[in-house]
Amino acid sequence: MNDTETTAEYGLVKRATGIRDLDTVTHGGLPAGGVTLVIGEPGCGKTILGLQILASALAMGEGGVFMSFEESRDQMLRNADAFRWGRSLRESARCEIIDGQSMKEAEFSGAFDIEGLLAVLDHCARRVEGTWIILDGIDQLLRRQADSQMAIDQIVQLNDWSIAQGYSLLLTGKHTGNESFQPDHLAGIEFMMNTILVLSSGLVDKRLNRRFRIAKYRGTRHNPDELAMLIDDDGIRLPYAEPFIAEAVPAAGERLSTGIERLDKILDGGVYRGSITLVSGQPGTSKTTLGAAFVAAAAGRGERALLISFDEFAPQIVRNVATLGIDLQSPIDSGLLRVVARASWNAMVEEHYLALLNLMDEFRPDCLVIDPASALLKASGAESAFLALERLLAATRTRGITTMLTSLSEADDPFGEASLSHASTLADTWIVLRYQINGGERNRSLSVAKSRGTGHSNQVREMLLSADGVDLADVYPFGSEVLMGTARVQKESEEAALRQRLVKERLRQRQRLEREIDKTRTLIQQGQEELERLQEELVAEHDDQTDIDRGTDRHQDDILRRRNPGEGGQDR
Amino acid sequence: MNSPLADDTHPERTALILFVTGEAPRSQRAHLNLAAALEAAGIGDTPAREVDLLRDPQQAITFGIFATPALMHIDASGERRVLYGDLSDEHRLNDFLSAL
Repeated sequence: MNDTETTAEYGLVKRATGIRDLDTVTHGGLPAGGVTLVIGEPGCGKTILGLQILASALAMGEGGVFMSFEESRDQMLRNADAFRWGRSLRESARCEIIDGQSMKEAEFSGAFDIEGLLAVLDHCARRVEGTWIILDGIDQLLRRQADSQMAIDQIVQLNDWSIAQGYSLLLTGKHTGNESFQPDHLAGIEFMMNTILVLSSGLVDKRLNRRFRIAKYRGTRHNPDELAMLIDDDGIRLPYAEPFIAEAVPAAGERLSTGIERLDKILDGGVYRGSITLVSGQPGTSKTTLGAAFVAAAAGRGERALLISFDEFAPQIVRNVATLGIDLQSPIDSGLLRVVARASWNAMVEEHYLALLNLMDEFRPDCLVIDPASALLKASGAESAFLALERLLAATRTRGITTMLTSLSEADDPFGEASLSHASTLADTWIVLRYQINGGERNRSLSVAKSRGTGHSNQVREMLLSADGVDLADVYPFGSEVLMGTARVQKESEEAALRQRLVKERLRQRQRLEREIDKTRTLIQQGQEELERLQEELVAEHDDQTDIDRGTDRHQDDILRRRNPGEGGQDR
Repeated sequence: MNSPLADDTHPERTALILFVTGEAPRSQRAHLNLAAALEAAGIGDTPAREVDLLRDPQQAITFGIFATPALMHIDASGERRVLYGDLSDEHRLNDFLSAL
């Protein structure tokens, strides 16, 4: 017995199946000793689950025994051939596939025992050193039991035996239609078993929709939800098995360019790395162009970008955006960009989800565009489209992939954005593209409905497409409206004329002032000259006076001298 | 592994085999019911070969018998018929044996 692959949880010992999704939802696997009952309608994948568990056990170096009460050994192997792991069942020496369908055409006379069966299983399991035993279609054997209570007793006997021997025993049984999860002919068995898996299927939009549920797993935590199930080359897949770990989401402060310079400016430098941008708009509002500009910018930075298109094929997109000066061919050639076209109607929502997840894991893009993500709503099983979208976005967030989703809003519904409100709550940035019809024109407009953690412009801008690329025109608010197209051009020329007039007016004003200054300067000049002249006059006047004074003094002296006796006859 | 029955004890190529599991009550009942029916049909001198699956589980795979008791008849052309159960339903048992 190989005990290395088992895990104990609350006393229950589990054995990993090696099927990642199954081990995730069962929190580690199925009981290492005892019965796991797998119930489902015909064609639900019960047999495949059994075969896959066996193949997976072989891959992990364990052995196993598979016994079918419904199909021959060759049929079993042919079933398995459809899967990647199919050959291992043919080639491995540690696997035993037993044909148990001989019961089918037998007659019955009275009750029978299953000790012989146990002896055979034990015999084979020992030979291959097996840990897994799968009895496929056990109901085919036990429904032969005349007394149904005896059949139930024998299931219990199988359970006790597998616990005692330490085998993980998988029993599959059909059930048809009704709500309860008991296999046909084995009423009441659901109360005896501790582990019950229910597989179901239904048609949604004419497409098969598979479901998986752990109806019972006593003594251990498990995921009790009904989960979408797919069967692909790997076998059974549970796309939503992976739990979302919020702590794993990085919150980077780095801004990434959207590929449109003016848009980056509006968004405070671009979108945050690892964030999600929703671009919604009616047909022809250039959603794809925005997506293409975004991936082209990513590739231009040397990052890896993935563009998933549900609308167009890669060559079309490359050709169309090339006319707008966006080059996708070079990054495609250099391997930085991958453009993948998918047809929404061609697969279930879950299949798309899984395919996109696989692409993400394989290509490891830094930036991702899904154009349009709303196409998922057209896929079969669309009632779970939002769930798929949420899962997908959780995956891009945890991987730190900067994502841009485009979404087609209905042409006749101006409030179509409301229907996207669910999706928009997932997005960090929501860019709304529209047609504005006024003045007999249809003009593209762009506005940022929201942008978390970003001071963004709330104004509606006109989007201009030209061979030079995408640009946003300035805002021309006119009353309550934003002018676009011809109206904007007209407004622009009006404003230009007004500016012209203002410029001329200013020039005239300046010239007038300059003239005034010159005139004043002249006046000052003249005043100055007058001042100097007057000052000179004053000086001259002063000199005259001095001369006169001096003459008077001299005259007086003469008189005094004459009167002085000491000096020739003066009287004094 | 799945080789056709090479039955050395019955050179006439037809065989009647009773598969049992040890001393299980149903196996014992089947043994007695079969013996009585063969006796009543006047062919009691050709008793069935008995295979104990607990002792030789490989035989279960060889013959494709996984529930016991089981009575197998292999006719001259190699065709196999099996009657499962403790053979308590006399009518069915006689039906089964009438082909002998």
